[in-house]
Amino acid sequence: MSTLPAITVSKLSKTYIVPVREAGVKAALGSLFHRRKEEIKAVDGISFNLAPGEIVGFLGPNGAGKTTTLKMLSGLLHPTAGEVAVLGHVPWKREKAFLRQITLVMGQRNQLVWDIPAADTFELNRAIFRIPQADFRRTLDELSELLELGPLLRKPVRNLSLGERMKCEIAAALLHRPQVVFLDEPTIGLDVLMQRRIRSFILEYNRRYGATILLTSHYMADVEAMARRVIVIHRGKLLFDGELADLVRRFTAHKTIVVQLGDCLADLKAYGEVVSCEDGRTTLRVPKAETARVTERLLADLPVIDLTVEDPPIEEVIERVFTQGSA
Amino acid sequence: MRFFRLFAVFVRVGVMSELAYRGNFFVQLFESLLELGTALAGLAVIFAHTTSLGGWRPDEVLALVGVYFLMGGAIRLIIQPSMQQLVEGVHDGTLDFTLTKPEDAQLLVSISRVEIWKLTDFVLGFGVLVAALARMGERVGWGQAGAFALTLLAGGAIVYSFWLILATFSFWFVRVENMLEIFQSMYEAGRWPVSLYPGWLRFFLTFLIPVAFATTVPAQALAGRLTWQTLAESLGLAVVMLVVSRLFWRVGIRRYSGASA
Amino acid sequence: MRDLPQIYAQQFKTSLAMMLQYRASLVIWLIAHVLEPLIFLVVWSAVSRSSGGSVGGYSPGDFAAYFIVLMLVNHVTYTWVMYEYEYEVRHGTLSFALLKPLHPIHSNIADNVSSKLITLPGMAVVAVILALIFRPVFHLQLWALAAFIPALFLAFLVRFLMEWMLALAAFWTTRVSAVNQVYFVVALFLSGQLAPIALLPLPVRVAAFILPFRWTVGFPVELFLGKLTPMQALTGIAVQLVWLGLSLLLMRVVWRAGLRIYSAVGA
Repeated sequence: MSTLPAITVSKLSKTYIVPVREAGVKAALGSLFHRRKEEIKAVDGISFNLAPGEIVGFLGPNGAGKTTTLKMLSGLLHPTAGEVAVLGHVPWKREKAFLRQITLVMGQRNQLVWDIPAADTFELNRAIFRIPQADFRRTLDELSELLELGPLLRKPVRNLSLGERMKCEIAAALLHRPQVVFLDEPTIGLDVLMQRRIRSFILEYNRRYGATILLTSHYMADVEAMARRVIVIHRGKLLFDGELADLVRRFTAHKTIVVQLGDCLADLKAYGEVVSCEDGRTTLRVPKAETARVTERLLADLPVIDLTVEDPPIEEVIERVFTQGSA
Repeated sequence: MRFFRLFAVFVRVGVMSELAYRGNFFVQLFESLLELGTALAGLAVIFAHTTSLGGWRPDEVLALVGVYFLMGGAIRLIIQPSMQQLVEGVHDGTLDFTLTKPEDAQLLVSISRVEIWKLTDFVLGFGVLVAALARMGERVGWGQAGAFALTLLAGGAIVYSFWLILATFSFWFVRVENMLEIFQSMYEAGRWPVSLYPGWLRFFLTFLIPVAFATTVPAQALAGRLTWQTLAESLGLAVVMLVVSRLFWRVGIRRYSGASA
Repeated sequence: MRDLPQIYAQQFKTSLAMMLQYRASLVIWLIAHVLEPLIFLVVWSAVSRSSGGSVGGYSPGDFAAYFIVLMLVNHVTYTWVMYEYEYEVRHGTLSFALLKPLHPIHSNIADNVSSKLITLPGMAVVAVILALIFRPVFHLQLWALAAFIPALFLAFLVRFLMEWMLALAAFWTTRVSAVNQVYFVVALFLSGQLAPIALLPLPVRVAAFILPFRWTVGFPVELFLGKLTPMQALTGIAVQLVWLGLSLLLMRVVWRAGLRIYSAVGA
């Protein structure tokens, strides 16, 4: 496999100019004569590279710039500044050779035709992507097996549940075996079981076909399950780019110690911040540097039944990342 | 050719979408027959009082009605539904899917939706044309037939380009659906020879909302009333509008994808 | 029943605000209402010109007068309730109206009247412009003009009730478009929109007299243009009153039957 990056992004920016107006009649009249405009930096100078076959999770709150970035990488948006190369192509030139190698899945929108079975939309895509019959059959069989599509393909799309529809959407997007897969919030609105199925599918697909996968999500669980590498975006700026474990390590100032005692009578304030106590199960927050020392003291001083040291929940970590701004 | 292959696939999708609603065929047939019956009855009333309408004979006006339904059928079959879907796609962002496909986006949006039952209008119009031709008999020679085919295609191209331009406005304005509905009302005027209308209205119906080139001109060709000038205008306008609509479409797409002008 | 004037006043204000929001659709209606009579005006003028200047007693100037007045009368009396009810039944939003302690017909009327307050000025301007272009010839008579007012009012009521009952077809079928189309086709011929009824063949003229369509549009127009004798005018108003009475009785029956079906299916 080539060692050249599949995706290179350099100082990418996207600025929107939006008209600004206050409420009220006077302001409305005023805007007739003088249009006040505001610059919104949706994406502000981000840079990163993706190697072929990598899975990367774009994490960020709503409005962070994730979807805008994705759209620039898939050629749907022209950037205001910066450079992008995907598989050697400039995306917004929308060259056919480029478009044949990528795909876009949007969690909140469907490309499947509503009234007909998914299989018929597949045929449509087959014609558009000019997939040879043999390849098409093979890919479809494999996708059917991985996604457990079976009888779903013959039902009209409007009769499918949300989860079933999403599976078919994903299949429709992968029929042409794209080398780069863009997923925009693919598990949004799905039940937990279906979310898990789709995550494991994406992992398996990446393992089997070596496709480079870029997904955006505001579900931490998506990123935890699918991506080893995480890029955190907030207010258009890249806050973090690296392994998830590093993210936790860098942005946590605390660790959580869960001590199981006989009861909750002991006052453990001296050891650290007591978060909760229930049936003797006490949760303590201690500064990271103190972890070893506090653990030692707890084990020495108290009749500890059980003790675990945990990282704080990842949501908390991410929140810290966002509120802290650039690290 | 590539276009026909894709077109066939989209027609197939359209057929499959409608096959689930078999009742729709009979309803559509009923409505089309009713509309045709109304048009013919109207003709009957008019020609009960005269033998010539602005110089047009009854069988020539009948041919015009045939073209009106034929062209109307083609519009309602593909052009209108596809352009309406384009406008929806701009609003709800599903146009993004079209733009990530390795095929010319204008081609894809232009055939994206086929309302197969509207074929009845097309077929009925064709039937009326044949009936009119039978009455006009030996007066229609090969030259006229050729001119008819040319002007019909040109008219179709002009109407398509016009709808595309209207739909492309949705990249800038939200309420474009209303514009599309106005065309419906205007098209009604195409049931009668445009030469009847006063000059200002004729200009409006020829160059602003191109109804004349869609219906009257092909009928003129069939009736042998077509001047070389009009034929040239028809073909010329078709080429111009195809080019203009294509360019405008490209501008619209650039706008949609936030390219700096 | 006593509160009705107040309710109407309030309903009217709401309707007016809403109709201003729907300006665009109102403009589309306006364009359609101008184009159709305009097209027939042109066609019939051509017919009369090629027939030695007059057809059935109508010269081009008479046709111009007829269709311009028809345009105005049609616009004053038109409704769109059949589309509205089809939409509301299909999307289940009619239930909201049914939960209110007021018959939905009142809001329908208020919407209708308030919309015309907005569009009539524009329509009047168009009528004047068309008059300048097509030079209508009027043979007005004072008594006819006086009788025109109640005739127009009755025409509005009869047409509204008729089309309102037509709208209720949405309770029984989803193929409302087909039902509507039949109505509009019949109305086209029998209410004088295709041509002055005098120009239609005898069987059609008879049907026009018996059925209510002529009395909703054609009759007021003919009255205004002075084409009727006082006896015919009186008869016409009587017929209008009969149709009004019938409609008022019938609408209750149809409404109740429709509601039963609607609630049976599950509102």
